[in-house]
Amino acid sequence: MKILVTVKRVPDPEQKVKIKDNALDLSGMNFVVNPFDEYAVEAALRLTEKAGTTERLGEVVVLGVGPKDMTQQIRSCLAMGADRAILIEGNDDDLDSEQVARVVTAVYEQEKPDLVLMGKQTVDGDNNQVPQLVAGYLKLPQATFACSLDLAADQKSLLAAREIDGGTENKRVPLPAVASVDLRIVLPQSVKNNVTDASHAYPEGPRYASLKGIMKAKRKPLEQKSAADLGIKDLAPRVQPGPGDEARRATPAPSRYQSGVCGRANAEAHRRSEGLLGLTPNVNAFTVPAPRSAHERGDKHGQRSIGRGAQRR
Amino acid sequence: MRFDLYNPTETHQAVRETVRQFATSELEAQAAEYDEKEGFNEALFRRLGSELNLFGLTVPEEDGGVGLDPTAAVIVLEEMSRSDPGFALSYLAHEVLFVNNFYYAANADQRRRYLPDVISGKRIAGLAMTEPEAGTDVLGMRTVAVRKGDRYVINGTKQFITNGDKGDIFILYCKLDEPKRKEITSFVVEKGPGFSAGRKEQKMGMRASPTTQLVFEDYEVPAENLIGAENRATMHMMRNLEVERVTLAAQSIGIALRCVDEMNRYALDRKAFGLTLTRFGQIQTYLANAFAETQAARAYVYDVAQRITREHRQSLDAAGAKLVATQMAERVARTAIQVLGGYGYTRDYPVERMLRDAILLSIGGGTIEAMQKNITRDLTRIYR
Repeated sequence: MKILVTVKRVPDPEQKVKIKDNALDLSGMNFVVNPFDEYAVEAALRLTEKAGTTERLGEVVVLGVGPKDMTQQIRSCLAMGADRAILIEGNDDDLDSEQVARVVTAVYEQEKPDLVLMGKQTVDGDNNQVPQLVAGYLKLPQATFACSLDLAADQKSLLAAREIDGGTENKRVPLPAVASVDLRIVLPQSVKNNVTDASHAYPEGPRYASLKGIMKAKRKPLEQKSAADLGIKDLAPRVQPGPGDEARRATPAPSRYQSGVCGRANAEAHRRSEGLLGLTPNVNAFTVPAPRSAHERGDKHGQRSIGRGAQRR
Repeated sequence: MRFDLYNPTETHQAVRETVRQFATSELEAQAAEYDEKEGFNEALFRRLGSELNLFGLTVPEEDGGVGLDPTAAVIVLEEMSRSDPGFALSYLAHEVLFVNNFYYAANADQRRRYLPDVISGKRIAGLAMTEPEAGTDVLGMRTVAVRKGDRYVINGTKQFITNGDKGDIFILYCKLDEPKRKEITSFVVEKGPGFSAGRKEQKMGMRASPTTQLVFEDYEVPAENLIGAENRATMHMMRNLEVERVTLAAQSIGIALRCVDEMNRYALDRKAFGLTLTRFGQIQTYLANAFAETQAARAYVYDVAQRITREHRQSLDAAGAKLVATQMAERVARTAIQVLGGYGYTRDYPVERMLRDAILLSIGGGTIEAMQKNITRDLTRIYR
């Protein structure tokens, strides 16, 4: 059993996004593995192991498409337990769903995995297009938004449960196939492979990279290639942004107190001092995720708290 | 790659990330509860070994450890202490006071017998040094071991031992034959007849970490549990002190970083007289000083940590880092309470717990007075 898992790096959803020149300012941004992709890695590992033992029943190959320094996020997937990785280099700005789907398709042709496992979408672009495009180009069966996966004992098919309006739809797809996963795939008993005891309960959420995993990951193969190596001529985006597509931030009306004792100059100084903490980029001192409630975050990123426990002050 | 004192390699950065993930989700969720009930989260503690391999951090890979350096230990303690300094203290006692110490002092047979179980987290460990009447004056300890055939008989009491009741394996420092002797002898000892935990202390802070007496009454230990040679333990006891001090200092840094986070978040959110607290000069003094002091001490701690090797122990600067960091963390935690006002004084926010925990670090693992004594001794050697 060979599983190809795609991962993308995304700006840390817990960090504040800055806007500069009508675009997201990604300088000094901390990047993480797209949470849904992390769930896909976890699901792939559960499918290819006998829980409680170190026995591997198959191979998990991580495929990243993105800039060179994305190796850090790829290594973190290897540290979780994936066996090897491939990085196809490309600029984040150039990569749209279509381009990524072409790359994944090309890698599939070289690797011929039994299953392509993907996050249902990334939390930056939120397009939810690549798994469907890949399945289309490869003419493979697809199961999207899987919240549980059950690998048949003969490893010839996969039973996927999909959350749909009003209930759950169960779909059996013959392998090879493309599947994309939703967050409930990392609940304790969402993935079965007919080898691990059916009653086994995993800790909720994607597994932590163990320290031994981190040390081993340094020695695992990570192949870096260009799109040209796959026979793809260019990675220029097919769709160009049109007028009105710029990132913008509305500035609230100035407070009437700003002309008071703590005047405008002070407010300006305060705004500048905000940048101070930005001096410590990446994983550094002052970037601990704010223990905000999912409600305050006000968007789907709240879902990310699954398995990572409830944060409190 | 840009030089980064706090994450010197990608591996260090990966270690920081995984420990931070664990801390922000698992430690954070239980910290207040275990502080309140003064309990030890044993199940979570064992996961540090079984799930994250955080024990044996500084033990070479070929001997079953992770093979990392003191900087990695500092990163782990800092990250854990941002959420739960008490729990982190129990980790420190197991990992730094026992595992790191034991690995470098023990012989091959002793390593083989004891290391696997403490690295996996199956057994919880600690260190027995302080006595009711011997703290900073450590060589005044009075616990005595007397040789009897192929065994030693041990009598005495150890005081303020972290993991005392939950642990069942300890490194014991004592005197051979008689208390007045200057030399120290050490053993690896397991709970059993004649060796038990005494009274559990009720503490101001670090309440998630159990502290008890250890009582030895005609406790017999086989001669093969002698670590090194008789009367020769002072050296290995001292050799471990630098890593202990720099990791305890890292706990102070973790506490301070958390308090800086808390006070800034609160000050930006909270309004008084129609303005956020960050707009008031008095509060700015608190925020700015806390930030700058934290950064300064943090740089010192990491600078010392990356210079500690087996050959170059950095005893002067390890003591300096602990002296500076522990006092700084107390000030910063106290400041955080002031910024949060009435809320800071309540248990709805973590800063009062952080202050209570911070104070221990000025006492445990060498008081600030002991650090001052040692620093002056080292400086005298340099300047005389």
